[in-house]
Amino acid sequence: MDEPECDDVLDDWFIESLKTYKDLYVYQLECPTKVIEWTSGRTVCVAGYGSSKNEILELRLPPKLFANENKGLCAERDFKVVHGGFTDGPVHCLKHVPGTRCVVSNDGRSSELQVWELGGEDSDVIRRTGSVAGRSVVSEGGSRIAARLSSQPQVLHGARSGDVQLTELTSGQPLYKLETDSADPLSSLQFVTDAVFLACCCNGNVYIADTRTAAAPQLSPPPVSSGESVLWWTDASSGSSCLDPTSCRIVRLSSSGQAVISDLRNQREAASQAQLDVQSHHCNLDDVTVSWAPALDGCIAVSGFSGAVQIYNTSVWRTELQEAQPLFQHRGHTVSSQPDDGVFVTSHVWHPERPRTLLSAASDGSVHVWDWVDQSAGS
Amino acid sequence: VWVPEIASEELLRCVHTEEYLNSFINGRINEQEQRRTGFPWSKGLVRRCRYETGGTLLAAEVALHRGLACSTAGGTHHAFPSFGSGFCLLNDLAVAAKYLISSSPGRKVLIVDLDVHQGDGTAFIFKEEPCVFTFSVHCGKNFPLRKQQSDLDVSVEDGLEDEEYLSTVEAHLPSVLEIFRPDVVLYDAGVDPHWEDELGRLRLTDQGLYRRDLYVMKTVVSRGVPVATVIGGGYSRDIDKLALRHSIVHRAATQVWRECGM
Repeated sequence: MDEPECDDVLDDWFIESLKTYKDLYVYQLECPTKVIEWTSGRTVCVAGYGSSKNEILELRLPPKLFANENKGLCAERDFKVVHGGFTDGPVHCLKHVPGTRCVVSNDGRSSELQVWELGGEDSDVIRRTGSVAGRSVVSEGGSRIAARLSSQPQVLHGARSGDVQLTELTSGQPLYKLETDSADPLSSLQFVTDAVFLACCCNGNVYIADTRTAAAPQLSPPPVSSGESVLWWTDASSGSSCLDPTSCRIVRLSSSGQAVISDLRNQREAASQAQLDVQSHHCNLDDVTVSWAPALDGCIAVSGFSGAVQIYNTSVWRTELQEAQPLFQHRGHTVSSQPDDGVFVTSHVWHPERPRTLLSAASDGSVHVWDWVDQSAGS
Repeated sequence: VWVPEIASEELLRCVHTEEYLNSFINGRINEQEQRRTGFPWSKGLVRRCRYETGGTLLAAEVALHRGLACSTAGGTHHAFPSFGSGFCLLNDLAVAAKYLISSSPGRKVLIVDLDVHQGDGTAFIFKEEPCVFTFSVHCGKNFPLRKQQSDLDVSVEDGLEDEEYLSTVEAHLPSVLEIFRPDVVLYDAGVDPHWEDELGRLRLTDQGLYRRDLYVMKTVVSRGVPVATVIGGGYSRDIDKLALRHSIVHRAATQVWRECGM
């Protein structure tokens, strides 16, 4: 009785999706990933988070997605594994080093980073080529990683605000250390320009530091929140377009669903905020992601609270806390799973250039790439 | 060239429930039901569906008299008696088949559905009807996920190309004709098995579709059985290309007409 009902739901959603998406392609991994990292405009790297051996894969997106003009001429609608390898442990964080075929990962257990070569035309193997030591040996929850935006292969990494370090990849030499007395666990590290970065902490603190100076970082405390002991996730609007770091917008999202937008220049006042429609009872809070759209002004995507990815338009938010409804919800991962499985989205990323294209991955191993239709727009 | 009449409510009632027809014709289909069909309701939509059904019926009647007839529409095989689904609101093939067996007792109808999607509505409607044989060749992974049971279902894998596809049809059609011995065939010549189709997951070429249609019509006609065709499904943003693809069956029919001296 249950099976036909599930199929019915999926069939109905499929028909609806023909109108609500411009493109939608699905892929099934053998094991779920909690990382999706662009390695080029058409390829992404994913990796498993099982306790021992896992696959690390570079997937090429369906060519049909990119055939904007002559969609009919391009039949190829499947993802393809172009490179693959094995890890010795789970992958909790993975970043691509721009300008190289190199990715850096962390297993969430220690502060050490693994360095990988993705392989070129001649090989389909992803090889481990080395490691980078963390600044402190003991680490719970694993390190966050950010790759420097310039052409020098350097990575910023650390598990807490007190052990953040910038390391040169080829030599393993530390180039910079964030000097602060605190030891707040990090939720993310992010470069906003080539030299300026944010160390975003789970308690809502955001440290703003400049790798060119030894000066202490600036601290932006968390917004006033309604809930006790909430966790916070942060994202800053796209680094490469943010030439003046003090005019960068950041979004902070709490585990109770409060989202606050502020300006780095004016950190104490909330520019705007909203209470998002998220149900946090089922979620794996490790996997919450909030991200600015690189090419769609004012839009953010939120995932990890459920099996859906929600898109919000923050430009209509005000300074007083009000409920916000999503502009769009991608429910593909829930619709295609059994109702009792409690599928949740583990990760999402925006395409760097295509305004409404996102990739999302879920706990059931599904990976979707989708280009949604803005039905509120006059088009 | 003939022009159909609009299908009357009485005619449609031979397949569809009164309740559904009332809601459908009078615009009382709720939002959830509309989403399932893929269409927002409008009066024009209702007219179009009724004419389309009339067209399939007319093609069947003309085929009975002349041996071969082609509609320029039709193939809405996902419509069930009490609801629409997958861009299908009324099941034209079912209505035509029902009419054919009712108007002449003992008459047998074979529905050959080569649209890339299973003819689930039609299969359901004629599940217990011995005078109608439903035969569907479709891609397993295409919509609907929830399949019904035709009298003969052939589910094929993604990416099937011309040769293998044609062999598959050739492996089944003659024996179905031999065993069932229909008095008339309704042929859904859907073009969504084409490799450029946006929804279909097969890889037929224009030539493949032409050879398929030629084969089906010739095989049926050479047994002295009349055949009526409908255009079936096809999904492409390039309407001109799609229209051209849908006209393959008409051109194949012209060839059959010539070759069989009809």
